[in-house]
Amino acid sequence: MAERREVVRVRNIVKDFRPGFGLRRKRVLHGVTFDVHEGEIFGFVGPNGAGKTTTLKILMGLIRPTEGKASILDRDVGESEFRNQIGFLPENPYFYPFLTAREILDFYARLSGVASQRRASRVDELLGIVNLSHAADARLRTFSKGMLQRVGVAQALVNDPQIVFLDEPMSGLDPIGRKEIRDVILSLRGEGKTVFMNTHILSDVEMICDRVAIIVKGRIRQQGSIDEILPDSTHSTDVVVAQLPVDVATRLESDPGIEMRGLGERVEMRVSAKRVGEVLQAAIEAGAQVISVTPHRHSLEEVFLSAVREEEGAR
Amino acid sequence: MNSLLRIRTLAANTFREAIRNKLLYTLLGFGIVMIAAGVLLASLSYVEVDEILQDMGMAAIRFFSAGIAIFVGIGLIHNEVDRRTIFTILSKPVSRTEFLIGKWAGLTFTVWLQLVLMALAFAAVSGLAGAPLGAGHAVAIALIGFELMLLVAIATFFSAFTTPMLAALFSVGIWMIGHLSRDLRALGEQSELESVSRATNLVFQWMPDFEVFNKTLEAVHGLAIPSSEVWMAIVYAVGYTVCTLLIGSMIFGRRDFK
Repeated sequence: MAERREVVRVRNIVKDFRPGFGLRRKRVLHGVTFDVHEGEIFGFVGPNGAGKTTTLKILMGLIRPTEGKASILDRDVGESEFRNQIGFLPENPYFYPFLTAREILDFYARLSGVASQRRASRVDELLGIVNLSHAADARLRTFSKGMLQRVGVAQALVNDPQIVFLDEPMSGLDPIGRKEIRDVILSLRGEGKTVFMNTHILSDVEMICDRVAIIVKGRIRQQGSIDEILPDSTHSTDVVVAQLPVDVATRLESDPGIEMRGLGERVEMRVSAKRVGEVLQAAIEAGAQVISVTPHRHSLEEVFLSAVREEEGAR
Repeated sequence: MNSLLRIRTLAANTFREAIRNKLLYTLLGFGIVMIAAGVLLASLSYVEVDEILQDMGMAAIRFFSAGIAIFVGIGLIHNEVDRRTIFTILSKPVSRTEFLIGKWAGLTFTVWLQLVLMALAFAAVSGLAGAPLGAGHAVAIALIGFELMLLVAIATFFSAFTTPMLAALFSVGIWMIGHLSRDLRALGEQSELESVSRATNLVFQWMPDFEVFNKTLEAVHGLAIPSSEVWMAIVYAVGYTVCTLLIGSMIFGRRDFK
């Protein structure tokens, strides 16, 4: 497969903050380097205070890096003109409470340079996408946190951007809202757009992201595709069978490599990945009915926690 | 062209936000009450009744308009940063200079609008009291408009990098010194100490001279206001405003939004 274009390039970014007047500088990013490829959903994962939002703010030009370079679509992040090709949802977004959802989207559309003849239809379209058409003319001061989050997603998409940066996009949303936003993100990838997502919710990352970078205490600990980060990691498989003869069940139960559990008429066996074939063959030859075979991979959560522990151990 | 459209959009939004500020209506209300109260004060005098009435009215316009320009202006940028609305705005193709100018333009338009309302109140009170009104009054009030334009730029400048409290302190200080710097210089020149004279001269040279916009005396007494002085005041206001916003945008451009 041909190498895809790098649309976001971050090279050795260092950021120092001065916690207060006259106090010593504190380094929050230590040479962060990663790339985001065109058309992928990139998950930027890390615990609280790891430097996710700081990195994102550097990409948005809201914070200047102390050292290093960052570019989006081959343009330095300090420039502003190229920003009509990107969208950004900050964490816990806040909007002018005196405006309606329609007015705020129109405001952002104007700032993004959306043509006047397209503006009204684009705003209506977005209100539909984020399921807010019913509240289009209500003042934002009356909106719940979840509704404001949807407005935030809509404003990030107002200019039909090539790359969308989302900081905790599922924050404040109920399960239905999360599913809707997940669907929006997947549909963006379907349209060939790139999505950069900061998040804590690892199940979402595992479900929708193509590539991931794990940042801990300002350092990138791991990065790559989900398959690269979780390589051949099927550590065990659950095999559920029915009508397993008692003698075969007894034989398998006595095997130290098999954990067996009775589920009424059924038997669940947890076996190592290497021995799945052998167990299945024994069950089938004994006339048992195979109900399910479920491989268990190392979850991203396990990889994430191990990266955090490694970093803490290294300190 | 796009830049102008973005500045206009930001200015329009700032205007919508500013007209929801309760402080604006409080100061506007007080201003109008003080203009009307000039009738009471003038009634205590047997001489120059019209002059006292109008002098007080003009002073009320200048004082309360300046209050609006400063106290609404100081929160202009700070509130955007504090409420994080600036994050989504600067993620659009909006430069920090455009943002600063948009905020300044929106508030300048707002204070000009309230100036028109105060001027109408002034004209109404003068008319009812039978005090004469002429072109001089219009020129004097227009120059207050230019003074306010510069004052909003100064408040916006401080709001771009400091807290509202400090911004208020600095803006009020500069405005007051700006009205007193001529007197201070004259005082310094009479001093026997050269250091005092040098210091007051320095203050006069480096602080904006807000007295160039004060044509109240001429307007109230029906004296001619030379057009050269009017044009000088306009050029002075525009030049100072451009420089203030330029330096402000340079400082604002280097700021981190944590």
